Amino acid sequence: MADRTSFLGGRIPVEVEIMAKHLKDLDKDFFRKILKVVVNAVEGKDCRDSLKSLADNGTLSEEQLSHIITGIHGLLKEALRLPTSSLKQEIFKEDLRELRISEEFIADFASVVFGNRRASLEAAAVEHGPRLPTVEDIRWRVDVAISTSSLARALQPSILMQMKLTDGSSHRFEVPVSKFQDLRYNVALILKEMNDLEKKSILKIQD
Amino acid sequence: MASIIKETQSIKEAVTHINAIDLNKFSRLLSRILQKLHLKAERSFSEDEEEKLQSALSMDKQALSLVLETISFILEQAVYHNVKPASLKQQLESVHLQPDKVDALSQAWASAGPDAIEKFRQRIFAPKKLEHVGWQLNLQMAQSTRAKLKSPHAVLELGIGSEEAENTDKLFVEFSHQELLEFYNKLETIQAQLDSLT
Repeated sequence: MADRTSFLGGRIPVEVEIMAKHLKDLDKDFFRKILKVVVNAVEGKDCRDSLKSLADNGTLSEEQLSHIITGIHGLLKEALRLPTSSLKQEIFKEDLRELRISEEFIADFASVVFGNRRASLEAAAVEHGPRLPTVEDIRWRVDVAISTSSLARALQPSILMQMKLTDGSSHRFEVPVSKFQDLRYNVALILKEMNDLEKKSILKIQD
Repeated sequence: MASIIKETQSIKEAVTHINAIDLNKFSRLLSRILQKLHLKAERSFSEDEEEKLQSALSMDKQALSLVLETISFILEQAVYHNVKPASLKQQLESVHLQPDKVDALSQAWASAGPDAIEKFRQRIFAPKKLEHVGWQLNLQMAQSTRAKLKSPHAVLELGIGSEEAENTDKLFVEFSHQELLEFYNKLETIQAQLDSLT
């Protein structure tokens, strides 16, 4: 244990230390309730109501409760930053023991960080991270112009695309067939580049 | 095929003027008009050029515009009905255009006609049109809430031009590998629809 730095960093964050102290006398069931609310918050759910019911419960003072919530949030945030390949469950548990957190609570923390909710927590992190808008919905239509004012028989196909993006904007535009081929070719090319990139050794380096 | 050029009074008048034009000058006139035919908003010749043409062809303003409009009209009709060169030739003969002018016109149509028709076909009515596709492939290494990531992202740039504005609007859309794959599958479905048309 001697040389290794805790996953929480060289200096344990104050809020985590305070939380660890408060956990000593905490009822196990109530701890689980708090943990559940914090995990929901990390997932990006609206937790105002459940927080209120925790406060109304009266088991803890408002100050104690806010210390515990802040500490749990800080601890989870640090643990979830690191991929599981880099932070092993045993190390995580060891680091929490250093903080004198009881085994029961450690098991609960570990089940959040390494359990089956991990995937949805990671997905939430990606979703709430900074990113450009992505496609939410695409609708399309293929039209064939039969006649126009200039051509008795045009028989020219075209594509009308309606793209709804995650930033709420909606775009409608015509794609001439030649441009459509261009778009399709380029998307296929990016997919190929992505596959090549994922095969490269840079992605296989274990940290 | 029904006649596309009726021998009206104004056609008769135009034909007389055209017959008087030097063959070389007529050929050059034709190729210019054919080039600009699909650009509805633009005249084939600028005002300056029209003034010069008046003296070059020794015509007054009215006669020149009659000649230019008539040639454009004949070519537009040829485009509209997708007329074969031989059929155009026959129709021009029937309105008493001189044989050398008939040959020049039907030859110009035979060589430049398919291109002109294609240009008209490409002119689809759409206020907004996809004009440019660009992309960038990024490998995300970390973000504020995650360390040691290695996830590829593509950013697609779609340049969308609009009929009224000069500049193109740029749309940036991000895709993960999975999202890009789903997008590609949609494009494949559209492609299958297009293939089924031919």
